[in-house]
Amino acid sequence: MCSEPFGKIAGPAEVRPIVAFHEVSKWYGNVIGLNKLTIQIPAGVTGLLGPNGAGKSTLLQLATGQLYPSQGTVRVLGQPVWNNPSLNRCIGLCPEQDAFYEWMTGWDFLYTSARLGGLSRPDARDATGRTLDAVGMTTHKGRAIRGYSKGMRQRIKIAQALVHGPQVLFLDEPMAGTDPVARRALMDIIQRLGSEGKSVVVSSHVLHEVQSLTPNIILLNRGRLLAEGQVRQIRDLIDKHPHHIVLVCDASRKLASRLVSWDDVEGIRMLPGGKALMVETRSPDAFYGRLPQLSFEDGTEIKEVYSDDDNLEAVFKYLVNK
Amino acid sequence: MPIFDQGYQHWSGQMSGRAWRWLAVTRQGIRGGLKNRFLRYVLFAAWVPALALVLMLCMWGLLERRSSLASTFIQYMSLLQPGVVADPQHYRADIWRLSYGYFLQIELRFSMVLILLVGPNLISQDLRFNALPLYFSRPLRRIDYFLGKLGVILAFLGMVVIVPSIVAYVLGLLFSLDITIVRDTFAILLASVAYGLIIAFSAGLLILALSAMSRNSRYVALCWVAIWLISGIVGTVLQAVDSQQRRYAYYSQISVARPNGRDFDNLPRAERDKQWRAYRQAREKATEEYRIAELGFSAHDWRPLVSYTANLSRLGQQLLGTDQTWKKLSLLDPDQNARDLLLATYMGPQYPWYWSAGVLTGLFGLSACVLNLSVKSLDRLK
Amino acid sequence: MNSAPALAQIDPSSTGRGLSLTALWTLYSFSLRQHRHGKRWIIMAALMLLPAGLALLVRNTAHNVPGVALEFVFAFMFIPQALLPLVALIYASGMIQDEQEEQTITYLLIRPIPKWALYVMKLLATLTVAVVLTVVFTSLTYAVIYWGADNHGQNILLRCLKASSIHATAVAAYCCLFGLMSLMAKRILIVGILYIAIFEGLFANLAFGIRLLTVIYYTRLIAYRTLPFIVSTPFGTQDFAAEAWQLDVRNDPKLLEHPQFGTCLIVLFVSSLVLTALAAFICSRREFYVKTAEKG
Repeated sequence: MCSEPFGKIAGPAEVRPIVAFHEVSKWYGNVIGLNKLTIQIPAGVTGLLGPNGAGKSTLLQLATGQLYPSQGTVRVLGQPVWNNPSLNRCIGLCPEQDAFYEWMTGWDFLYTSARLGGLSRPDARDATGRTLDAVGMTTHKGRAIRGYSKGMRQRIKIAQALVHGPQVLFLDEPMAGTDPVARRALMDIIQRLGSEGKSVVVSSHVLHEVQSLTPNIILLNRGRLLAEGQVRQIRDLIDKHPHHIVLVCDASRKLASRLVSWDDVEGIRMLPGGKALMVETRSPDAFYGRLPQLSFEDGTEIKEVYSDDDNLEAVFKYLVNK
Repeated sequence: MPIFDQGYQHWSGQMSGRAWRWLAVTRQGIRGGLKNRFLRYVLFAAWVPALALVLMLCMWGLLERRSSLASTFIQYMSLLQPGVVADPQHYRADIWRLSYGYFLQIELRFSMVLILLVGPNLISQDLRFNALPLYFSRPLRRIDYFLGKLGVILAFLGMVVIVPSIVAYVLGLLFSLDITIVRDTFAILLASVAYGLIIAFSAGLLILALSAMSRNSRYVALCWVAIWLISGIVGTVLQAVDSQQRRYAYYSQISVARPNGRDFDNLPRAERDKQWRAYRQAREKATEEYRIAELGFSAHDWRPLVSYTANLSRLGQQLLGTDQTWKKLSLLDPDQNARDLLLATYMGPQYPWYWSAGVLTGLFGLSACVLNLSVKSLDRLK
Repeated sequence: MNSAPALAQIDPSSTGRGLSLTALWTLYSFSLRQHRHGKRWIIMAALMLLPAGLALLVRNTAHNVPGVALEFVFAFMFIPQALLPLVALIYASGMIQDEQEEQTITYLLIRPIPKWALYVMKLLATLTVAVVLTVVFTSLTYAVIYWGADNHGQNILLRCLKASSIHATAVAAYCCLFGLMSLMAKRILIVGILYIAIFEGLFANLAFGIRLLTVIYYTRLIAYRTLPFIVSTPFGTQDFAAEAWQLDVRNDPKLLEHPQFGTCLIVLFVSSLVLTALAAFICSRREFYVKTAEKG
């Protein structure tokens, strides 16, 4: 498998990107799917985010060699992907579409996928059993796929991506249409894969799910790269937009009158209910630093402090609405 | 100045009646069908025979008014005997009947092609993409859905069969300028419209039933090709094998032997030619007798029933009354043999028309059953 | 930050492990299973039963019809002209297009199998099924035609064997042709039916050079050179095949103006290979859109 030495390893042992897009564009007739995308995805779990039509599936299809870039180059594990079937031994894809050979059982489907991956019969049997265990589908392996629930179908889809032991996994909206319990199970699987040393690229438009999986994100919108890196770092870089910090306090107006005199406070808004206020500041760290002193001096009890926008959704909204 | 809510607003106007809900399905189907380039080409090509029909009817109208333009045109139609051209008003209805008959035969073929292009997707795509719940979760009954889909077939077939028939009729009237023409030919218009409706309903329901049986429109199209072409080939083969046997029976009764052998080769050329002529004459006579007898035999021949299009043609033949027309035209020839030969050549199958009606009714009922079983209401959809 | 270990770049020359025979064999056997599954083979079998059914009907309704005449009409007119091209069209056109429409082709594209090999294995599976169906139902047709009938001293088993081989060759050529067409035309069914009607149906019956481009022409020549279709009629002996297939045996009794048996076989075989190679090449260069619709 790809985790074993795959032959001669060239070059110095330094960290290299797993996936590298260089000036990649892809258009479908007059519709542009990706627009001059240059990106390097490192090892580990990476979230690929964007609204519908952002180009996430196009990116994944390019990365797995199903599509050919109209411009630019795509490399995975340092090799060009297009018409390079041997690279598929190291890659696994969980596609977005809910399409199966419905007449096959779960075991049959996985076993055939393993054999199509080049595994011998004993290896394929072992791999199928292990993978079914890993995704929690052992008890349902004998049932035809047409009888599976949505969550089971997603798990089988991930399983077929894993069965040949790839080093890099691409998961296209793996949690689409699943219930919360199934979603939790799938997230556990993905986290476990990351901890086992596999590189996983998870695409989704559900921001809080990706945020709970990984802090490394790539944001796409309308075929363009909006941002890449860690959520916090991206947030810090958006210096045009002040941070929003919510303070919950009974004497909110009194607190507001004190805060308004601080230089780094750009605005204060009273929240409905009269028990909380929202502060806009460009220096959140400095603000947090001075807040305890204010509470102590003033005797104002601040019950709760949280940032309304130190999350992916806020980052995304800023970037998309720019 | 008031500020208006830009969000969703409930429709408080009048709703269209239940009777017209199928029309929305039909409109959507027609729009989808017209996006197909091949379909537009076929529609365009299907109007060419209509132009020929219009031309024929208009020319006959001009001929009745003794226009020199019509005379020039008619002289190229070798089928028309001088007696017919000499008294065009007397044979007006017959010529109209024959013209419509040939037109409808050609349009029947175009109709089959149109159905091949439009029909397979009608229900099979809804099954494939699970669109039936979207339909039935609205106030749309199954009958509205079926009528809507059938309406698509009716619309396209109407465009190539019924509309050209009516347009040709009106133009033929205008070129004739004789009010009695309505009395003589109105039944032909009614017959052609009725025939068009029979084709549309029969073939439409059949293709809908096939479409409801598979999610893959390719197999539906194959089934349609099998019903249309293969059944025709099967019918033709059965008839050919059977009639060939009867032909051999007639030929075996030829009293003149086929000239061959060394003795024949040694004969003088004049004698050889004489013997060949005698043989050929005997053979031609046997052929004529065989063809005339075939007409009588065809009254009991069930083999054409195997062919779907032959059944439709038989009904068309009966509705238009083309057989009576040929009988009338044959009377222009004083020679009985020649009359029989003309009838044998041009008249269609003679088996009872209600045999074909029965086959088509049976298919209609079977199609309705299949549709009822395949397309279930919302509470019974999987 | 995820604590996955850093990965070194893999040397490109070390990953080329070549074609996996296991993967290819699995794809072939999986495609065979796909064909077996579903209703398609039942419909094909029903279609292929038509000649046998018709022959039975004719034998029961029209007596004294010579077996050779029935054989010619059903086994050498009906089957190769109508059924074989249709069966090949349905099977070969769905090889890749069905997978694409069902959106399952992704599962094959992400395996370490080159796209050209994907096509070839799918084609081989299709050929296997089509040839088996053809041989079985051709044999059944012969059985129905000659069971209990007077053979007039003919070796029916040999005739059946020859006919099955000829039909198998023809259906294989059609499968290769329609497989290529399915990659080039979106509405393959319409194009295929037009091809069957115009090329194989019309042009093949014209005594012009264009019939050299049809499969049925070579099929007929092979049949004519290996199987006599002479029947005694009130006119004397009649050569059904020569009359029906526009072969001028009166002026050219040995058909020297037409390709010989070996040439016909080579033409069919080589053209099948060429069509397959071309289709495999097109497949290797093609993108298969699963989510977004194809152009045109």
